[in-house]
Amino acid sequence: MLWVVAGVIISAAVAALLSFRGLPSSTKERGRPSGSESAYTLTALPSAFTAQRPLPLIDATGATRWAPVLHAAAARRAPSFQSAVVARLANHTGDGTANILVADAEAEHQGVLWERVRLAVLPNGTQGWVPRSSLGGWTFVDTRLVIDRARLTATLLRAGRVVFRAPVAVGAPGTPTPSGQFYVRDRLSGFSNPMYGPLAFGTNARSPTLTDWPQGGVVGIHGTDRPSLIPGRVSHGCIRLKNAAIVRLGRLMPVGTPVTIT
Amino acid sequence: MSRDGIRSFSLSDFDVDGAVRESLSRLPGHTRAGFLRRAAGAGAAVAGGFALRPGTAGARAGGSSGDIGILNYALSLEYLQASFYTEAERMGALQGALAHQAQVVGAHERDHVKAFKAVLGSAAIKQPSFDFHGVTANPDAFRSTAVAFEDLATAAYKGQAPNIQSATYLAAALAVHSVEARHAAWIRRLAGFLPAAQAFDDPLDAPRVIDIVNSTHFVTLQAPDTSAGTSPGFTG
Repeated sequence: MLWVVAGVIISAAVAALLSFRGLPSSTKERGRPSGSESAYTLTALPSAFTAQRPLPLIDATGATRWAPVLHAAAARRAPSFQSAVVARLANHTGDGTANILVADAEAEHQGVLWERVRLAVLPNGTQGWVPRSSLGGWTFVDTRLVIDRARLTATLLRAGRVVFRAPVAVGAPGTPTPSGQFYVRDRLSGFSNPMYGPLAFGTNARSPTLTDWPQGGVVGIHGTDRPSLIPGRVSHGCIRLKNAAIVRLGRLMPVGTPVTIT
Repeated sequence: MSRDGIRSFSLSDFDVDGAVRESLSRLPGHTRAGFLRRAAGAGAAVAGGFALRPGTAGARAGGSSGDIGILNYALSLEYLQASFYTEAERMGALQGALAHQAQVVGAHERDHVKAFKAVLGSAAIKQPSFDFHGVTANPDAFRSTAVAFEDLATAAYKGQAPNIQSATYLAAALAVHSVEARHAAWIRRLAGFLPAAQAFDDPLDAPRVIDIVNSTHFVTLQAPDTSAGTSPGFTG
């Protein structure tokens, strides 16, 4: 008897399913586009979207990451609170912008996560370790700026491809532009000093000679009011571009971009 | 505001432009709080792995304030997940099967974001900033967080699905919901949990979901301000 009941139930279910698949077209409209057959009526519902192929990240681990300093902290020589202090970090730069740090390594010591960061101090290239908890969330950039002091050019790459190139002026022999690995720290615009053109980027590079300059001799990347000196070796250490070029660069280069000066 | 400048968030923090709040306030006969309570069984969350089909979703989004609010709610969750997986992939700390999971699921979540934004157009909320506090650089922490996110997303979509007003959104929502469930099963297996632990899953309403995300402190208010109008003090 039980098998009979079960058989009736299954038969009824199959009949109902077949009946549903055989509904008149007006009733099916919500579930199945005309001219299309599907084993699953639900999948044939007209969707708000059309499926796309998911795209992987390009060069996922080749990006540079930066984070803002959340609160005053000390950068140390090694990832330990017992290690010597290399620099004191504020949460704002001298320009009033967020103080961001580019990190390139992590370490855990006694349960504390540390980040190795590039510092805006002399000697250029100094790195230090800061607790991860002193920093905010990461932002990633896939751009890289290369300043070639021999050829007097600036080249911007995005995901390894050249997207910008322009002639530059760099430091005069007595006030050289330092070489090394740096990064773009902030972006200034809307000011009224024509010497810097319409746009200026601050970096963490420091002039090795103009150490008594305000803010310690920050090496910037900016426009100019003397375009005839570009290309050349005439600046106080900054990297000068013609104004049209710096504006174009400004559309392409985000803050946090690593800067290689060769 | 909480410790170390890390701020917990609420719906209003996700809802930078007020789009969600505005949509909720327009719902007839319900206060915002009432709507959020009702969200356990009302509203809709949609989309994923898709792009807008012109002439259908756009028109629908413009015509239903309830759907827009719930779409933005879902977009918020997709922002969170997409940022999480993208950061994990970029940090490069994951290996083997876990790295593969992050790569595949991250691509899905980024597609979900694109689809929501395409449908919502100018009504889409902006992406908040995230701070995952090192979780993305630690495989064990990543795995645990991913399990929580995928289970949460599955329950959140389920919580909204019964109330979708638009048939096209319903179709998309069901497509996304099952993908989130597959993500959940995948990462649960990698974490050593049963992929399907029980015969029936419970939905989660919006306030509960927001409370849970809030407790992570992963959402920060705004991106740091790295621009200024001050005159440079550079060497020149």
